[in-house]
Amino acid sequence: MRIEGAFRIAAPRAEVWKRITDPALMASCVPGCEAIERQSPTRYGARVKLAVGPIKASFNLVVEVVREEPPERVRSTTRGEEGSRASIVSAENVVALVEIDPVTTEVSYSSDVSVTGRLGKFGLGVMRKKAESMGADFVAAFRARVEDAGAAAGAAPAGAVAEGGR
Amino acid sequence: MSGVALARARSLEEALELLAADPEARPLAGGASLVAMMNAGLVAPTTLVSLRDVEALRGIRPREDGTVRIGAMTRHCESAAAAELSGTLATLRAAARRIANPVVRNMGTIGGSIALSDPGADYPPALVALDAEIEIASLTGARRVPARAFFVDWYATALEPGELVTAIHLPAPRPGIGIYRKLARVAGDFATVSVALSAGEDGRVSVAIGGSGPAPVVSDEANELLSETLDDPRAVARAGESLAARSDPVDDVRASAAYRRRVIPRLLAEVARAARLQGAAA
Repeated sequence: MRIEGAFRIAAPRAEVWKRITDPALMASCVPGCEAIERQSPTRYGARVKLAVGPIKASFNLVVEVVREEPPERVRSTTRGEEGSRASIVSAENVVALVEIDPVTTEVSYSSDVSVTGRLGKFGLGVMRKKAESMGADFVAAFRARVEDAGAAAGAAPAGAVAEGGR
Repeated sequence: MSGVALARARSLEEALELLAADPEARPLAGGASLVAMMNAGLVAPTTLVSLRDVEALRGIRPREDGTVRIGAMTRHCESAAAAELSGTLATLRAAARRIANPVVRNMGTIGGSIALSDPGADYPPALVALDAEIEIASLTGARRVPARAFFVDWYATALEPGELVTAIHLPAPRPGIGIYRKLARVAGDFATVSVALSAGEDGRVSVAIGGSGPAPVVSDEANELLSETLDDPRAVARAGESLAARSDPVDDVRASAAYRRRVIPRLLAEVARAARLQGAAA
């Protein structure tokens, strides 16, 4: 399934680039992400827990940064298994940054995700809804982290901060 | 799913204690969904607390004030045949008759079904259209939640850990009709889209849509449009558009989200026609 979206953030593109390439910050914004470790300069391991109603899953994910094109685009892949259980998730992801004006950046993301095994039986329809709601939670957390940091540093003009608060 | 323990609770109190003692324990009602999900490896409870012997959870009983209490362990086949579910309450009886097949209707229970809250299940829209209340118990006491507030998200309800659905309360039946219609790929499937409608002779109409979002879709605007004017095709069409606009369906093997949105007004129009015919015959 393909998951895509875009959102605007009140911060300069260089600032947003710094944040989206900061694995610890990114991990703290992913709903259900419990631990992240750096396995190599371009490879990270993460444990992510998620639940849809009575169905709970915990994935050990490996995120590999395939290509960075600063300050515009990051390509990565995600592969993961569910412990001893038989679900496998894999995804190819692209995050792109577009400068709208010097203090506003548009972040667009797209991900081709496939899920096989026991969770594949559950049906992709509801899983897509779950992914969309996790995406919205991520955007809210990420925006708060970046814009709060900007406001604290006094870097963001008052107007931009007000927009972020909407 | 190795090592699942089975405990047969003899009372509601005992069932609640067993559930509170182990967060990975699950209540076993009819098992129609839970056992199938265990077999598919989707859930792996440590303990199943069987509710079969809990007498307090059984039976359909009209109360002195005219309202009707349906115990959580009431099976679909019992609801499908219940004389108490007449007049405007016939919506629920009709929904029970459309669940799956006779084998599942002989096993599955109303409490188990709504606790799982499958978005394509038949009871949720019927209960929302009827303004039912869900009775919930835990070791700390009992509470009641309106059906509209009970179904909160995909497969998620207002139930907190340690809580159990104990009964469904329906308002007193009014003279009138209740209709449940579902579009399904094959007989016995979950709803692609369903419409639950209750229309009193007093003109009050209430409708809810199933299979079209995380919870049954309702619209106060649609209910107002339909009340007194169920025979006006333009009002019915506008009500259908209002409900479709509030829907949030999935793309899945049953249908695309766009298809479901288009079906909602058409299925509602069909139900409104059926209601007029039934009203004329009455």
